[in-house]
Amino acid sequence: MSADFWYGALATLIQVVVVAFGGPLLVGLMSKVKARSEGRVGAPVTQPLRDLWKLVAKERLHARHASVVLGLAPTVILASTVVAVAISPLVSTRPWLSSSADILVIVYLLLTGSAAAALGGLDVGTAFGGMGASRAMTIGALAEPALLVAVVALSIQSKTSNLPGIVSATLAHPDWVLGPSRLLALGALLIVVIAETGRIPVDNPSTHLELTMIHEAMTLEYAGPELALATLGEAMRLGLLFSLVANLFLPWGISTQRSVMSLVAGVAFLALKTTFVALGVALIEVRSAKLRLFRLPELLAGGFVLSVLAVVTGLVAR
Amino acid sequence: MLILAILVTSLTATGIAAALTWRPWIGWMTAASSAVVLGLGVGLSVTSLSGPQWALHHSLRADSLSAFMVVVIGAVSLLATAFTSRTMHQELTSGVTTTRYARHYVVLTQVFITCMLSAVLTANLGVLWVSIEATTIATTFLVSHRRTDGAFEASWKYVILCSVGIALAFLGTVLIYYAQLHTSGVAHHASLDWTTVMSAAHHLDPRVTRIAFALLVVGYGTKVGLAPLHSWLPDAHSQAPAPVSALMSGVLLSVAFYGLLRFRAVAVAALGPAFPRALLLVVGLVSLLLATVMLIAQRDLKRMLAYSSIEHMGLLAIGAAVGTPLAIAAVLLHILGHGVTKSVMFLSAGEISHAQGTTEISRITALLARQPTLGGIFGFGLLSLVALPPFSLFVSELNMARAEVDAGLWWAVAISLVCLAVIFAALARHARQMLLGGAADVPPTALPTALPASLTTLLVGALVACVVLGLLTWPLQSLLVHAAQTVTP
Amino acid sequence: MSTTYVGVLELAAGAVLLSAVMTLWRRSVRAIVSMLRLQGVALSVVAVDLALHEHEHALLATGALVLVVKGVAIPALLRRIAQRDPRSRESRPLVNVPASLVFAAALIVLSYVVGTRITALAPSVVTNLAPLGLATVLVGYFMLVTRRHAVSKIVGLILVDNGIALMTFLLTSGVPLIVELGASLDVLLVVVVLQFLMVSMRHHSATDRLTEMKALHD
Repeated sequence: MSADFWYGALATLIQVVVVAFGGPLLVGLMSKVKARSEGRVGAPVTQPLRDLWKLVAKERLHARHASVVLGLAPTVILASTVVAVAISPLVSTRPWLSSSADILVIVYLLLTGSAAAALGGLDVGTAFGGMGASRAMTIGALAEPALLVAVVALSIQSKTSNLPGIVSATLAHPDWVLGPSRLLALGALLIVVIAETGRIPVDNPSTHLELTMIHEAMTLEYAGPELALATLGEAMRLGLLFSLVANLFLPWGISTQRSVMSLVAGVAFLALKTTFVALGVALIEVRSAKLRLFRLPELLAGGFVLSVLAVVTGLVAR
Repeated sequence: MLILAILVTSLTATGIAAALTWRPWIGWMTAASSAVVLGLGVGLSVTSLSGPQWALHHSLRADSLSAFMVVVIGAVSLLATAFTSRTMHQELTSGVTTTRYARHYVVLTQVFITCMLSAVLTANLGVLWVSIEATTIATTFLVSHRRTDGAFEASWKYVILCSVGIALAFLGTVLIYYAQLHTSGVAHHASLDWTTVMSAAHHLDPRVTRIAFALLVVGYGTKVGLAPLHSWLPDAHSQAPAPVSALMSGVLLSVAFYGLLRFRAVAVAALGPAFPRALLLVVGLVSLLLATVMLIAQRDLKRMLAYSSIEHMGLLAIGAAVGTPLAIAAVLLHILGHGVTKSVMFLSAGEISHAQGTTEISRITALLARQPTLGGIFGFGLLSLVALPPFSLFVSELNMARAEVDAGLWWAVAISLVCLAVIFAALARHARQMLLGGAADVPPTALPTALPASLTTLLVGALVACVVLGLLTWPLQSLLVHAAQTVTP
Repeated sequence: MSTTYVGVLELAAGAVLLSAVMTLWRRSVRAIVSMLRLQGVALSVVAVDLALHEHEHALLATGALVLVVKGVAIPALLRRIAQRDPRSRESRPLVNVPASLVFAAALIVLSYVVGTRITALAPSVVTNLAPLGLATVLVGYFMLVTRRHAVSKIVGLILVDNGIALMTFLLTSGVPLIVELGASLDVLLVVVVLQFLMVSMRHHSATDRLTEMKALHD
């Protein structure tokens, strides 16, 4: 076993642990920011973690008509996210299996999770679950082209579609970050991330109003440990997406050397950068109202055109 | 010297009109200035036969083509400005306008004419563009002069469409300049000066020139009234006061076409004749077909004349597509014949609509019985417009057709002839309705406002000039040949 | 060649196209006008950046003129119109917003394909950006054709013009000053003309003629 392997394995482990705790903390941080901006004290930042803990201790409960899908879905959501977290360049550019961390692999791992969530929502056959699943899939279908084209923009510039490769290339060419192509891709990715993580203006994570909820509708049928799994999966997914945005556009501080110190620094920087992204998204949430459902295509088509713009500017600029 | 004198005359008239409040003599003063421009233009034509003239540190330049265009502008603006006093008088008495707007009208007309003159007299293709764009601004207010809903709508469409079209022409001009900056082989000082552009034309990059010429054809084509961006033309021509319609249809379109002729020469030098020919043929034929279709069922007199302008511009484009010296000479003669005839038509149509209170063809009846002189002028003008012999349009169309057959474009000739036959039938039907229709029902009444003898003479004189040009082209023969040579290899 | 010079150029050129796309995206006329202001400023940054690098004083003057005309004067005029208009939203575009945006994406790709043919004549870091200008032109056309609100139409016209100006700066480092001056002033004049027309039209009829335009037809 080479040192590289052990370093990679350690990096992977750290990443999974950091995101598993960090994701819920980011969710808590964002609700805190929102609460404060509304003049409320708000729940502590650690509240999502406490909720998870509480849920784990509860009884497992299924609806009478539930099939095996309902039981499997939370596991698939969590597992696909964990795999994506494990191989992405979050704390280090060289985690375990990072050579297969192609950007498409990550995209489709995340899509597997979304598909599982939608299937879980449909399984029991209640009205809300189906409605939420159909809305979530609509948004997903609209967001996906934007995401893929934005990814193309990133890979054109770095001449690779391997995520760690893109991050390293960006580290080597710091002037790319302020280039128009990268900024436009950032805009597109932010829209996609907001859509995929179900934040305002696409979805309101704190509502249970039947007419407007999208994401919450799909998890209504879960209880106890399964709800904990699904919620943790969603939180980690948010953590992963925020970290990816942070690292693709501000890669500094990520660990590139094979040392424990650099890993520790990587964790610290990652925490800092994702906090920054979370604050930004929270600010957007505070400042904007939720869009009506039929206005969503406008937003996501905007994301798409931004990513096309990113590709073209990437092609013409240097 | 002559070049400067032409511009100074026109500018002086503009200045006087701007400085004083409206009085009828100002209208006659502008007509006099147009007559002087026409005279100077004839003089310039004679001197330009021995070579291009320059003025103002080579920023103004007149070759035979420019001189010929000055003659066309002078002739048409003489006709149009002679009607200024009468039109303003009619509008003031009927309360359509006020002395304030009458003054605006005269000033803008003069600005419009001056811009056209500077467009044909400049040595610089960039200034040509600026001048043509400036005509858009002046004419917008002229189109909206009557301040009715229709007039505002027409001028809105006009300014939007023409600005967009002309923006494309600017892009084309810029691309020609860019191609020139990077000519291979020759060390070269790039500029938009006509002689410099022409001397570099053979070395221009074909790919860029092709895109540039396509943009120029669409761009200037908008202003010429060629398809696909022609839709402003019928609206603007039908809403503007008659003399303005005469100026726009008679010369503005041709001045924009003059720009196309210049750039066609550049494109032919850079690309060979095939691409410019194909492009101009397509826009020309499409415009012709479109005008034919729209003329068949036309219900409005002024719109009918406007579509007839699109028809003639289409013919010009087809002639320019052939591009042989014979074809270009015929095109130029056609520009003159069409300019004079069309202004006579618009001016008499203005009189008709004023007398009868409508421009609807079906409500204009028994013109010949009610207003024999006016009806006669209108009828003969229509004969000239459909290019019957002995009018000059017949000669020019015949020569264009000859040149097209010589170039092997017999199919284009066939299509044009079919269109012309249909147009002839359509116009004849409309003319029968207006000149003779319903004569039995309506007792011949006295003319509400008789056309003064001076203006009648002018209109008749213009038609006679068309006949003279058709019978004997000798006064123009050498000028046309010279002018055609400046834009043919 | 200094990197900042090219970096600024790329950013400003990108901003010109981005603001063009944003005008298709937004509905409120005020937002559209502020996008136009951003575009005017970005355009003048392009001109000034080029002028400073190539020591062209004429281009510097053009840049200043562009800032005054397109960054300040025209947006201010349009803003005044927008304030006067009670329903200043683009309510019923002929093509809805998502479809317009997808269409814009297609136009951007098209202009890349066509634009590279033009830039192939003299490839450089500066001229290579010209397709962005062409894309702005096409987006402007699209706006002009598909938007009904009068201000949107004017904005489309100005987008076309700004795109052409961007191409002009990038390809030729500015055509001769006289032409450039003429071009910039013409735009201002056209906008003044249009403003005049809009105001008079509103005075003359109760119905909103600007968006209907039905009096003249064959």
